[in-house]
Amino acid sequence: MANYGMALDYKNCINCSACETACKEENGILMGADKHRIWVGVGEIEGQYPLLDITSNAFHPSQCQQCENAPCEEVCPTHATYYDDNGIVRVDPDKCILCSYCMNACPYDARYVDDRTMTVDKCNFCSDTRLARGETTTACQTTCPTKVRTFGDLDDPESEISILLRTREHYSLKTHLGTKPKLFYLT
Amino acid sequence: MSLREKINNIVPIRDDFSLKSLLSFEKTPLNVFMAILSVGLFLWMSYGVGVYLNHGHHAYNVTREHPWGLMIAMYVFFVVSSTGLCIISSFGHVFKIPGFAIIGKRAIMGAILTILAGFAVIAFEIGHPVTMVIYNVVSPGLTSAIWWMGTLYGIYLTFIILEFIFLARNDHRWSRLFGIGGLVVGIAAHSNLGSVFGFLVARPIANGVFYPIYFILSAMITGLYLLFLIYGFRYKLKFPPEIQEFLYKIGKLLALLLAILIFFEGWRFLTAVYGGMPERADVALHILTSAPFLYGELLLGMVIPFVIAFTSKGRATVALVFASITGMIGIFFMRYDLVNDSQLAPMMMLKKREYQLEPHWVDYFPSSIEIAISIGAIGLCIILYYVADKLFDLDYSQEDIHH
Repeated sequence: MANYGMALDYKNCINCSACETACKEENGILMGADKHRIWVGVGEIEGQYPLLDITSNAFHPSQCQQCENAPCEEVCPTHATYYDDNGIVRVDPDKCILCSYCMNACPYDARYVDDRTMTVDKCNFCSDTRLARGETTTACQTTCPTKVRTFGDLDDPESEISILLRTREHYSLKTHLGTKPKLFYLT
Repeated sequence: MSLREKINNIVPIRDDFSLKSLLSFEKTPLNVFMAILSVGLFLWMSYGVGVYLNHGHHAYNVTREHPWGLMIAMYVFFVVSSTGLCIISSFGHVFKIPGFAIIGKRAIMGAILTILAGFAVIAFEIGHPVTMVIYNVVSPGLTSAIWWMGTLYGIYLTFIILEFIFLARNDHRWSRLFGIGGLVVGIAAHSNLGSVFGFLVARPIANGVFYPIYFILSAMITGLYLLFLIYGFRYKLKFPPEIQEFLYKIGKLLALLLAILIFFEGWRFLTAVYGGMPERADVALHILTSAPFLYGELLLGMVIPFVIAFTSKGRATVALVFASITGMIGIFFMRYDLVNDSQLAPMMMLKKREYQLEPHWVDYFPSSIEIAISIGAIGLCIILYYVADKLFDLDYSQEDIHH
């Protein structure tokens, strides 16, 4: 069993949206503005010419943070949200009652309703598809042309992600909430 | 043994109850107005439920950023009413405070019917209510405030139904025991409902100790408003001496509890605004300048009833009955704001432009179907109360006064 996480070299992102497309294709995500597991946030250039703030013009790929201490898992009344053996936060649609508590509790806005099953869905690092087939990559990572994403086992000291996290400075989002995210932004 | 006798063996029903008696009532203008209003509201709710059954959550205006809407607020509104009636009625037959025992049956019946109306609303909000019943039992999420709230409310409903049955049978020993059980479990359930919001670490405006405590206080105030309305309607503002005495007492109690509530709210907002913490101070300032809070919660829900109760020392009963109407409207806004304000601050993590412009505040207004089911459920509640009033003798007996 692994302890999967993802490192994002986000400054390499060119906002081609290939990751979003690959995610939808691989996992059969419905179309629609609020039906997305992953996204790329776009910061526009701020300020007035010629005093433009070019640092504000950044791309921020993001998704479920796969928290080690996930608020969505804690608030689920029926254990529909659970940690699998790979440390991935997943949803069992059979148990989900669509009370939407997880959507409210998630600090990262990572959850949405799948209109086919009318249950709450989220990124599960391609657990139902690629990992289930025995692969050890995610669709978003494989397709990224600038290699923003590195997916791997945090417990394996020789994995690419472990080496990256040892050698590159990084930060995670909203760590003050105690969620212990497993998405790391490389600086 | 006829069916009537069998039912009578379990819980005594009125001798004059029949289908004919159910459909006949004194045709005063107020009664006719209430009948048309209740049936109209109920039909409106039925229409809403029909549309919901065809379209599911698409009939609602809830979104990814604002997953809880008016239906959750209305559920809270009803269960707050239920807990409030239960707490106030327990003053009499649990704590034996003189003068309160006479409301026992009517208040407990009110508590049963309001929570049933609440369950009716939440049944059309929870996406899979049948799955909920099954997996609540076979896969309990013990760290979930919703699990505790739902489970405890189930036990609470059982207790207060048994409490009513024993009250109706004049069995004051058992009714007191189930009354204590209902009170303890009811308070636990209700404060857990507060914690559903209080536990949200992602929402600084809701997170903390305030809601679980405030829910109990505001439940008692809701219970008092409803008792003024129920008894005002029952006696058409011409009260027998025992009831008048009781209403004087709860008038004073209302002034005290509203003063405490205003005090609580004052400190809640001072601590929220102080220091300017993001997602807390800005949201609090937004709430403080919003019409639902200023005119709904503050003016209708607190200030008007408080001024009347305080200046008359709780004795302006007729004015307080009317103030209870504004009070209940204010309580509705308290519930609506509670749900809406908790989700006001956008949490679109790093989504600065991709799918939509980042909103300053998350926008939500209920759909017509949400309004139909939520507000229509008040009609369901009044109809249930009308039937219960015809079916059971809810008035007090001399025995109630002595126990």
